[in-house]
Amino acid sequence: MLVSVTEDIEMSKPSDLVQGTLDMLLLKILALEPMNGFAVSQRLKQVSGDVLQVSDGSLYPSLHKLEQEGWITTARA
Amino acid sequence: MRPEHWLYTIPLRLRSLFRWAQADQGLDDELRDHLERKTEEYVAQGMTQEEAHRRARLDLDGIEQTKEKCRDARRLNWIHDLIQDLHYGVRMLRKSPGFTTIAVLTLALGIGANTAIFSLIHAVMLRMLPVPQAEQLVLLSWVAPGHPYMIHSLSGNFDRDKTGNFTSTSFSYPIFQAIHDRNLAFSGVLAFAEADTDRLNVSVGGLSELAQGQLVSGDSFSTLGIHAAIGRTILPSDDKEGASPVAVASYSYWVRRFGRDPLAVGKEITVNGVPFTLVGVAAPDFFGVQAGTSMDVWIPLRTQPQIDPGWTAYANPGEVSRFTARDDWWVSIIGRLKPSASPQQARAALDVIVQQNSAGIEPPPTRRSPDIAVGPPEVELTPAGGGLDALRREFSQPLFVLMFIVGLVLLIACGNIANLLLARAGSRQKEIAVRLALGAARQRLIRQLLTESVLLALSGGAFGVILAYWATGVLLTFMSSGRTPVILHVSPNLGVLGFTAAVSVLTGILFGLAPALRCTRPDLTPALKEGGAKMSSGGLSRGPRLDPGNVLMVAQIAMSLILLVGAGLFVRTLRNLQSRNIGFDRRNLLLFGIDPTQVDYKSERLASFYEELRHRIESLPGVRSATLSRHTFINGGVTIAGVSIQGYTPKPGESNNNGSLNLHVNSVGAGFFETFGIPLFLGRTLNERDTAAAPKIGVVNSAFARKYLGASNPIGRRFGFGDQKASSDVVIVGVVGDALYGQLRDEALPTIYVPYMQNIQQLAGMTFEVRTEGAPSNSIAAVRQAVRGLDGNLPLFNIKTQTEEIQQASFQERLFSRLSSFFALLALALASVGLYGMTSYAVSRRTSEIGIRMALGARRVEILTLIVGQRLTFALIGVGAGIVGALGVTHLMSSLLYGVKANDPLTFTTVSLILTVLALVASYIPARQAMRVDPMIALRYE
Repeated sequence: MLVSVTEDIEMSKPSDLVQGTLDMLLLKILALEPMNGFAVSQRLKQVSGDVLQVSDGSLYPSLHKLEQEGWITTARA
Repeated sequence: MRPEHWLYTIPLRLRSLFRWAQADQGLDDELRDHLERKTEEYVAQGMTQEEAHRRARLDLDGIEQTKEKCRDARRLNWIHDLIQDLHYGVRMLRKSPGFTTIAVLTLALGIGANTAIFSLIHAVMLRMLPVPQAEQLVLLSWVAPGHPYMIHSLSGNFDRDKTGNFTSTSFSYPIFQAIHDRNLAFSGVLAFAEADTDRLNVSVGGLSELAQGQLVSGDSFSTLGIHAAIGRTILPSDDKEGASPVAVASYSYWVRRFGRDPLAVGKEITVNGVPFTLVGVAAPDFFGVQAGTSMDVWIPLRTQPQIDPGWTAYANPGEVSRFTARDDWWVSIIGRLKPSASPQQARAALDVIVQQNSAGIEPPPTRRSPDIAVGPPEVELTPAGGGLDALRREFSQPLFVLMFIVGLVLLIACGNIANLLLARAGSRQKEIAVRLALGAARQRLIRQLLTESVLLALSGGAFGVILAYWATGVLLTFMSSGRTPVILHVSPNLGVLGFTAAVSVLTGILFGLAPALRCTRPDLTPALKEGGAKMSSGGLSRGPRLDPGNVLMVAQIAMSLILLVGAGLFVRTLRNLQSRNIGFDRRNLLLFGIDPTQVDYKSERLASFYEELRHRIESLPGVRSATLSRHTFINGGVTIAGVSIQGYTPKPGESNNNGSLNLHVNSVGAGFFETFGIPLFLGRTLNERDTAAAPKIGVVNSAFARKYLGASNPIGRRFGFGDQKASSDVVIVGVVGDALYGQLRDEALPTIYVPYMQNIQQLAGMTFEVRTEGAPSNSIAAVRQAVRGLDGNLPLFNIKTQTEEIQQASFQERLFSRLSSFFALLALALASVGLYGMTSYAVSRRTSEIGIRMALGARRVEILTLIVGQRLTFALIGVGAGIVGALGVTHLMSSLLYGVKANDPLTFTTVSLILTVLALVASYIPARQAMRVDPMIALRYE
């Protein structure tokens, strides 16, 4: 189900980000430990070294889509 | 996605559907939390509180948009949207109860009418027999370019199709036997025939009543797949010569006649005087193979000679058994096609059988008329799964015409609703503009508006179904007052409900689409301005514009014109038919039928019975005269006999095999012409002295004299039944006026009248005609007494008055006349209301403009003329379009008219005038009301 994501991310402009890549990144991040949306966005910035500019506005919809399709689950803190 | 995973996600999707509010709240919390933390982070980086807050919000791309995207991410969006739309739609409709009520009622009428007609079409044309795998059943028929020489006697269905070919469903019994034994392409085959004009005298416990009966072959029930509810069905062993006669009753007959008595099975009954044993009751719902009729009793084919000895003697004087005679065609055949067999193979094999059947039958000498010797006919197969198609043939055209009419009415109703919606959309313009400005997708808004209209239409449809149920009942009652009483079982079923739902949805989309598209046009600025929308449309100076309102008006007027013209033509057709000269006086005539041959009256005993009964009835108080005849007028029954006229040589093609002419003959009693009021032109009429012992005489009508007797004196001329050798048997003693048999549209044909007493061998059931002083129905009881006085075992049937009989004959014309008038008036009412409303609305939109004009000095009359003039222009366009459409439509239905042409100028002109005047009035009134407004108020009014 999870494919290993290499740490060498191509230096592509954010607009070239392929659709499913963001989903993969989120899954990889959440596979390590559960966290809330804010923490995920922090981690994303960390992992990509600020190259990957994923706006929070696209983050949350992707998270919700992943939950709807059953890849991740949520719990109330 | 792998299937297991997909299944796993279903509960998640469902949860998101049902726990929406909760999930929404969670989303809100989540985003607010993120916002807070982001703000803290920025503050920690050194920004001010407001700046941090702003930055954080920007990062999130706007809370509402993000929320919307998250909601979008949940795939079940469309269902949720739909539910949301429905909620909203219901709220909006509840807010304007007046509009909703009018719209729903209008739609209920339109959709209900369509549903009613469709359920009739479904019952008549689309329904299958209640028989397993009915689609495998086929009915055999034959077609030939002329009268095939190997058929000497034909009973049953007989027709001429459009190309002049002869066609029939009757075959000889040996043909059936060959098909049955050789077991070709059929897994089963059955034969059936009418049992003595299908009315049997069934006596149970001494009480005689008439029942609808049918003769069937031994494995009919097993081929059809019908089981018995009680006892057993007819078996092959019952259908053998010498087997003891058995009968099977239909379920409804068992309920009606035997009162659901379980001990009825096994009882002895008599059928036409012959003892039968009732061995079973058929499964409920099985009514026979003819849709629209309901059989009461089935008996084996082999019992035919016993229950109908008279017919056998008439058709087969040579005493050859009907079951071996190859030239006596009288059984109809239905087969169940094997799934593996092709109809072509079946037909080829059947043609061979028919040809073999003709072997050994002498073709007639060809010297006289070479085109008479028509060879063995070709066999055709038609699907019989829907039941025999006599019903379909009679009603399919009327039903389709009705469907067209109610379709037009529905369209006009839709036009009205569309107008209403346009007006309403105008007042919601601001609300919609605001929503569009807030970022709502245009498609989404259109979807929501359409949901509202479909909701409206479905509510209308729901009421329409109730209306249709009632209307169908009324229509069925009307339909069973036709010549052939129609017994249909129309019950609510999925097909009809599905149709209603589909029509409702389509209707909703139809009338909702234009307004929805119109008011979501991205021209927001005028709408958002105060009172802006009113200025952006209208414009007296720009002349009439092609906006949806005007297009609708043109369409509505055109359709109303078509309906009105159609109705006008139908009404005139009916009037023409009813006032047609039928050749006799139809008032105060009581008719009833009686058939003593069913209880073994024959020859002299029969003749004296008839005479005695006639005398008794004539001496009843309130009866002016009484007579009897083999056939009555206008009911379609005829006897055709081969006739040779002395001194007349038939033209080529006129005569049949033995050189005789085929002419109509009616056996009548004394006083026939006097009772009917048929004028006597020459000589004398039939009277009591024309008995069997007296010289054979006949009376002919004028058509006969004109066609066959030429200029010489008809009195004294001779003719006979049979070939030329018989042509001096009967002497003509009188010439009477023409009277109409058959259909009301037919012309009177040459007819011969002979005294029944001189044709005793061919006597059968007769119809009595009684001319009464007052209303005929008052004498029924006395007549019954008279019959019972002579013989208590003789039921009367077909008791009606002559006027009722004629009514039945014009049933289709009455149906059209009534229904088309009703719907045309309904359409007219709808269109008028629509016109009035539209003009009101259009004028109200221009109120400020009118105010300006009047303030600038325009006179009231000028403005009035302008407004009404514009409306009238469109009305006239509508009338023009309607005339063109109506010409096309009436041309298609010209076969239904009588006495009026399809392009009758009087009807067209009258209707056009009516509609124009109506449009004028409907535009004038609201325009005039607008004129009354004070210009100052109009200017201020926005």
